Amino acid sequence: MEKKRFSRFLSGGYLALVLVFVYLPIIYMVIFSFNDSKSMLNFTGFSLRWYESISKDRFMLESISNTFIVAIISTAVSTVLGTVTAIGLSKSRRLIREVVLEINNLPIMNPDIVTAIGLMLLFTSIKITTGMPTLILAHVSFCTPFVILSIMPKLRQLDDNVAEAAMDLGATPFQALVKIILPQIYPAILSGALIAFSMSLDDFVVSYFTKGEGLNTISTYVYTMKRYNYTVNALSTIIVVVVAVVLILVNLIPRLMEKKANKEEE
Amino acid sequence: MKSFFRMTYPYCLWIGIFIVAPMIMILLYALTKTTDNSVLTFQFTLENFARFFNEPSFLRVLLTSLRIALVTTVLCLLVGYPAALFIAGRPERTQTFLILLLTLPMWINMLLKTYAWRGILEDMGFASEVKVLIGMVYDFLPYMIIQIHTAISKMNRDLLTASYDLGANRWQTFLKVTLPLSVPGIISGITLVFLPAVSSFVIPTMLGGGDYYLIGNLIENCFVHTGQWNFGSAISLIMALIIITSMRLTKKLDREAQEA
Amino acid sequence: MRKLIEFRNIVKSFDGQVILKGVNLNIYENEFVTLLGPSGCGKTTLLRILGGFLEQDEGTVIFDGKCIDKVPPYKREINTVFQKYALFPHMNVYDNIAFGLRIKKTGEDIIAQKVNRMLSLVNLEGFEKRNVTKLSGGQQQRVAIARALVNEPNVLLLDEPLGALDLKLRKEMQRELKRIQQEVGITFIYVTHDQEEALTMSDKIVVMNAGEIEQIGTPLEIYNEPENAYVARFIGESNIVDGVMREDYRVRFDEREFECRDFGFRQNEPVDVLIRPEDIAIVDPANAVMRGEVKSVVFKGVHYELMVETRTGTSKTVRMHVVTQHDLYNEENQEKISANDFYVDSEDLINNEMTDQDFVSIANAQAWDIDDRDISLTRISHNIENKPGIYSITFGTDKRTEITVKVYVVHPEYVEDARHNIGISALDFFITPDEIMESMAISTDLKTWASAEAWNLQDDSPVEITDVKFDFDPAEIQEGVYDITFSTRGRVYKVETTSAHEEGDRVGLNIGPDDIHVMHKAVGES
Repeated sequence: MEKKRFSRFLSGGYLALVLVFVYLPIIYMVIFSFNDSKSMLNFTGFSLRWYESISKDRFMLESISNTFIVAIISTAVSTVLGTVTAIGLSKSRRLIREVVLEINNLPIMNPDIVTAIGLMLLFTSIKITTGMPTLILAHVSFCTPFVILSIMPKLRQLDDNVAEAAMDLGATPFQALVKIILPQIYPAILSGALIAFSMSLDDFVVSYFTKGEGLNTISTYVYTMKRYNYTVNALSTIIVVVVAVVLILVNLIPRLMEKKANKEEE
Repeated sequence: MKSFFRMTYPYCLWIGIFIVAPMIMILLYALTKTTDNSVLTFQFTLENFARFFNEPSFLRVLLTSLRIALVTTVLCLLVGYPAALFIAGRPERTQTFLILLLTLPMWINMLLKTYAWRGILEDMGFASEVKVLIGMVYDFLPYMIIQIHTAISKMNRDLLTASYDLGANRWQTFLKVTLPLSVPGIISGITLVFLPAVSSFVIPTMLGGGDYYLIGNLIENCFVHTGQWNFGSAISLIMALIIITSMRLTKKLDREAQEA
Repeated sequence: MRKLIEFRNIVKSFDGQVILKGVNLNIYENEFVTLLGPSGCGKTTLLRILGGFLEQDEGTVIFDGKCIDKVPPYKREINTVFQKYALFPHMNVYDNIAFGLRIKKTGEDIIAQKVNRMLSLVNLEGFEKRNVTKLSGGQQQRVAIARALVNEPNVLLLDEPLGALDLKLRKEMQRELKRIQQEVGITFIYVTHDQEEALTMSDKIVVMNAGEIEQIGTPLEIYNEPENAYVARFIGESNIVDGVMREDYRVRFDEREFECRDFGFRQNEPVDVLIRPEDIAIVDPANAVMRGEVKSVVFKGVHYELMVETRTGTSKTVRMHVVTQHDLYNEENQEKISANDFYVDSEDLINNEMTDQDFVSIANAQAWDIDDRDISLTRISHNIENKPGIYSITFGTDKRTEITVKVYVVHPEYVEDARHNIGISALDFFITPDEIMESMAISTDLKTWASAEAWNLQDDSPVEITDVKFDFDPAEIQEGVYDITFSTRGRVYKVETTSAHEEGDRVGLNIGPDDIHVMHKAVGES
């Protein structure tokens, strides 16, 4: 018994160390975003100067808004495209489904940089000027595969008979889709959308090659900065807060709705 | 319901344009040479590939990339396996919570986290390779832990009880039951770490302080700075080939291991 | 009764495999029809074609006088209760039942009225707001039935609806379903593989096999007058015996002639004879038609089920030499070794079929050290030839602890029973008392030790050795020679009786003319 408790203590300590490692940079950027001086290792005093300098940095503000515009639009488009495709694939012949899924896997398996230069070569060779539209197209094309991958298993789990039952009771195929299939795969669609959103926010490589001149997202802006810039810590902290709020909302809303539904049932 | 397969048509068109066509473009560029970066004036050649393999400095870059990726993978496995095992040993609710804690930082932009590491490691006096490895392991560790944890937690708990019942102690049970059954998780973990690590160029650039020139940097250079698109395409193709071959190989090994 | 549904020559195949081979079937109004057959016989496929979820390759389905081949499922006046209910998991009980009416844009007040009526029909009043995923199997089943019936279909299709329920609930739902069918008075087409379910509920049973209909009839007809051995075997317990029809009202089987009630067969036509277990009477052997030995007794609640063997199977007797073999002790190496003499069939030695490993296991050769740890036998040498005679084999360990035993190579000795097409062989063997005492399954071990095998003489397929007879007590075995008899199954009748009997009892069996049902052999069977 004593031995068991000891090994639990050791494994707990190890897990704590791993978690510290994982959270170290986040803690660092939050603390040093309030640092008064330009020191990287000494906290010399509390100040909001880096937050103020964000508000004065026009390029940084622009890159923030670009990042979110691209993420929101490409999430919306890839979620719709991915959902429609996944449903279609689940009713397609096996050969077609396998071929499409195989191609769909390419951007997931390929190194980002290969996907990126492929898109860049495509855009330049058909003489489309790179810019916001190409950036969004590029993001949609690497986000959609993930949406499809997140919805397909859920569709496969669905009892085939349930859609048949709806038609048996007089629903047209379209009614069966809207009233029966969509409500059941809704959680998978939501998680697909979340994955797409985070992929888009997190992307650097594809954006870097397809964004065109003068346009920046947060990633490309940070990458092209020549010297260490302390405002980045403030920016990161804001993003940490935004992401935390979004994640809490996304996880909380369905739970609250369920609670409400349960209450009604009683 | 049967007619729903038509819903795939838009995406079939989409993947034609945005997935297949770009791959063809890379292939086309890699096999041709032009004076200006236009597709219209080209002639077929294998020059781009020959140049890569004839120049020792390029090969050295490839080897360095492979080495860094390999070391990163081994480190992730060494650090990640015990973590995954320990998480799987906790009660179900704690497991979910721990995995959530591990995945949360993945929501923060990778560049921003790497930037923070740059600050943390700035004056610590580490060699640049150590810094790069810390950054790489940091970025990929959660993937490894999650893959292995999924494999272990999917395992039927009764197997452990059965193993104890048949007289094996904890260490024997781990070696003979848990470890073999987690092999698929290890393999997918390795795939998820090694492959992107080979092509990574942001972390080496930001943490290596210019000492680190990997294959990703070489490609970036060709496209962004020197305008050698044909050569850059050839290098990308070589890299993609290495990655896809090794992926197929690991899958095959995995299958053989499962059968044996 | 009016004809409601007509299947005309329905053919359907999947991936080149023919599932329905031209099925013709009429179904009338207000009938409870059961499609009965094993899984894969095509019954569910036929139901899905009627529901509109599958399209047949050939043939036509007529519904109420009209061809419905091109009518999509949502326009057919047919509703289905699916195998696993297929309730909509995101809707409560009320919304599930109301679904069909809402699709038809029925007014909510009428919906409420109809749903409530359905809820009381299936005894689920008060369950309106319940989450369907949290209902028990039987309750989900009732919701599925209510959901289908609320649309007032002319036909209700039920695809193995009780398969997922436990036995008690299944019986309850069987009565419930029959009651509902009689109350609403529409046609039920019910698919099942459970013959008892079919017998208790149906007005008409359609027995299917491999994509074809074997027989259509009332439960009584199907049970008492099955058309062939397949139907007889599928419905109820049965003894089916090969026989020959001598002339009208006289059938020969089991080397005897019996009077029967069947006629219209060719003279000397080979037939299948069906005798239901409950129709065989157990009587005093002295005045019985057949005599036999009770081989097993199973208590089934109301009655006992006996297996009575009226003719013994083919058998072969061998001698078991029980000898105490002393372990050889190699003091120098501190190793012990033991092995038995053994017999080998010379035919098994042709082509060097026996490996060293086979010899180790047949001689039960073992070596172990003072701590009782097994040591592998790595050195094996012998002079065995593929001719009858006495040879020797030596087993040894790495450290040269050795033991030599005798090997008797003998001609194969078969017993061939041409009349029943069975061959059986077994060899004498040597064994130690310890091995017999340690045996956990003595009959199985004896078969292994004697290499006992039986086979069909025509096609060489293996035949089970069901009986191992010996007259020693394994727990108190002494050195000596013992006879062991291996035999295959003879003619065994299953008999149901209410009187108690014990294994080994000699009994007499009587079969009256009314108890014998003669059937044509199925095509393709000899």
